Amino acid sequence: MSTLEIDAVTKRFGALETLKGVDITLESGEFLVLLGPSGCGKSTLLNIIAGLLEPSGGDIRIDGRSMRKVHPKNRDIAMVFQSYALYPNLSVARNIGFGLEMRKVPKAEREVAIRKAAEILQIEPLLERKPAELSGGQRQRVAIGRALVRDPKVFLFDEPLSNLDAKLRTEMRTELKRLHQKLKATIVYVTHDQVEAMTLATRIAVMREGQVEQIGTPREIYDNPASIYVAGFMGSPPMNLVEGRISDDGTRFQAEGGGCDFPTPANAIGGLTPGRTVIAGFRPEQLFPTPPAEAKAVTMEVEVVEATGAETLVIGHIGEQTIIASVKPDQAPEPGETVRLNFAPGNIRWFDPESGRALPNE
Amino acid sequence: MSSAWITTRAWLLMLPLLIVMVAVVGWPMVDTVRLSFTDTRLVGTGGEFVGFANYTKLLTSRAFLGALENTALFAVFSVAAEMTLGVLAALLLDQQFRGRAFVRALMILPWALPTVVNAMLWRLIYNPEYGALNSLLTQLGILSEYRSWLGEPGAALWAIVAADCWKNFPLVALIALAALQAVPRDIKAAAIVDDAGPFARFRFVLWPYLAGPLTIALVLRTIEAFKVFDIIWVMTRGGPVNSTRTLSILVYQEAFSFQRAGSGASLALIVTLIVTVFAAFYIAMMRRSGSRA
Ligand SMILES: Nc1ncnc2c1ncn2[C@@H]1O[C@H](COP(=O)(O)OP(=O)(O)OP(=O)(O)O)[C@@H](O)[C@H]1O
Ligand SMILES: [Mg+2]
Repeated sequence: MSTLEIDAVTKRFGALETLKGVDITLESGEFLVLLGPSGCGKSTLLNIIAGLLEPSGGDIRIDGRSMRKVHPKNRDIAMVFQSYALYPNLSVARNIGFGLEMRKVPKAEREVAIRKAAEILQIEPLLERKPAELSGGQRQRVAIGRALVRDPKVFLFDEPLSNLDAKLRTEMRTELKRLHQKLKATIVYVTHDQVEAMTLATRIAVMREGQVEQIGTPREIYDNPASIYVAGFMGSPPMNLVEGRISDDGTRFQAEGGGCDFPTPANAIGGLTPGRTVIAGFRPEQLFPTPPAEAKAVTMEVEVVEATGAETLVIGHIGEQTIIASVKPDQAPEPGETVRLNFAPGNIRWFDPESGRALPNE
Repeated sequence: MSSAWITTRAWLLMLPLLIVMVAVVGWPMVDTVRLSFTDTRLVGTGGEFVGFANYTKLLTSRAFLGALENTALFAVFSVAAEMTLGVLAALLLDQQFRGRAFVRALMILPWALPTVVNAMLWRLIYNPEYGALNSLLTQLGILSEYRSWLGEPGAALWAIVAADCWKNFPLVALIALAALQAVPRDIKAAAIVDDAGPFARFRFVLWPYLAGPLTIALVLRTIEAFKVFDIIWVMTRGGPVNSTRTLSILVYQEAFSFQRAGSGASLALIVTLIVTVFAAFYIAMMRRSGSRA
């Protein structure tokens, strides 16, 4: 239960500028998910929060107190490392209890905590084993266990579920959510998994090359991406981005190369001036097949149809540009067909192709 | 190609090497075993078969027991000191500090020196008249008058242990340093976050990575120490009053100074047997660490 401020943090490794000024303020009990491609500086940021790396500039504050020159052990954080970082010659039980052991917590108390964590993580039968005798997913759960037994001000998780099978991942995700709701802990969590980000986060920060591209609630990030980059990163499959032009009378959007032509929304926003080129963004699940009699927005030539279970992905092209629609399985077309699709115009996001930023909305 | 032909060809290709090995290693070994059961002298008469007489005489002689004791003392203390110093040096060199690369390179120097050069160097340091050690200790007020470090039976062995240690601890340090650099950064970081003290960090973070390489270094150094010859020969020739006479020195004296080739051969075989036991231990260690990885 602590606030966490990341204030203008920069980090250089020699000539390489890994973090270029990160500003994030977390209220007590927030669950922040860091999202971003490999190498964008997520682990580096966690290490700086933990005090394992010194920032080149800026400061970390926990509960308003500057962490400059505060040793990691005195920051009261628990961290799950991307590489698990288990002590090789200690048993699973001692690995989990190690932080408590070093902090002189009585043995009986420690054992209760270890049992409880092992139960949550479903690793009770493994408690006496050594890390070398565990699978990757089992090791990862031990690493989580080490954090769970602590009651720190801030939890730092670096891709804690990346190595688990789908079922276990879902279960652990729920456990983490439950834990967060119960402990009201402040958490910073790195993941590449969209579902984890959407379900766990109170806020998501999308990072790009050492900077925060956008920070907001999962819905904000999903519905109102601030840039093409965020739009392309969030959601799987990601948002469709169609390049086109506003007609000279300013009433229609027409895709370059055709195949997509629809009226601009009546409440149209300042940026859609006649004749300008824009990018229209709409999510695959917003598209739906429409009968020939009705108005259509998109005419797609279907190339690939992928059944994923609850939904079927229809991948094809309009003119030169590739788009994806997500439809109900019983509405799925055949490859080679031409389908007519429509969508609610209010759901379209507009981007400036030059800057990549979203055009102001409403 | 049939596998039989591959096998045959492999043997054919190895044949020249095998012949050379038999000629320069195999046959002398066999001949040493034969010699050890005779009273052959280096020059002149002898060569009669005497059974186990050489062995029984040696194993009960004061000279052998004294040499065994000297060898054991030398091996235990020099190896213990080398291991301790080597690990400490490696822990220091594993830290971040300016000029680290230079210090690392410098440290290899004693080990890279030929043993004879090292031994001569230490003879100068221990010199009773103008040696650096005497002048240092008297200037510090620890010593009231100059001593002959290599001339006193009570001091000579320890003086050689120190010289040998100075030469060989860098090897241990290098092995330990390589092991320390293999410790994953995140485990070190985890221990810091977990508030582990220096002792716990050594015990639970570094030691698991050090133990294997250090065991190998320990066995290798012990074998070397048991065979020690050159550094002692250059510094004291086994004296004074045989106080630095080790098994290898005794073999040399027996066979060449006293010209008792038969008896020297049996002593050489005893030393070989002792070292073989260590070597077997070493191979067993290697097997174990190999199967564990
Ligand atoms: N100790 C270091 N020394 C030099 N460069 C480093 C160091 N640690 C990280 N970097 C560099 O900083 C950049 C960001 O690394 P970081 O580990 O933070 O990425 P990440 O976002 O966690 O990626 P991933 O998703 O693959 O884990 C990389 O280009 C990496 O090479
Ligand atoms: Mg990372």
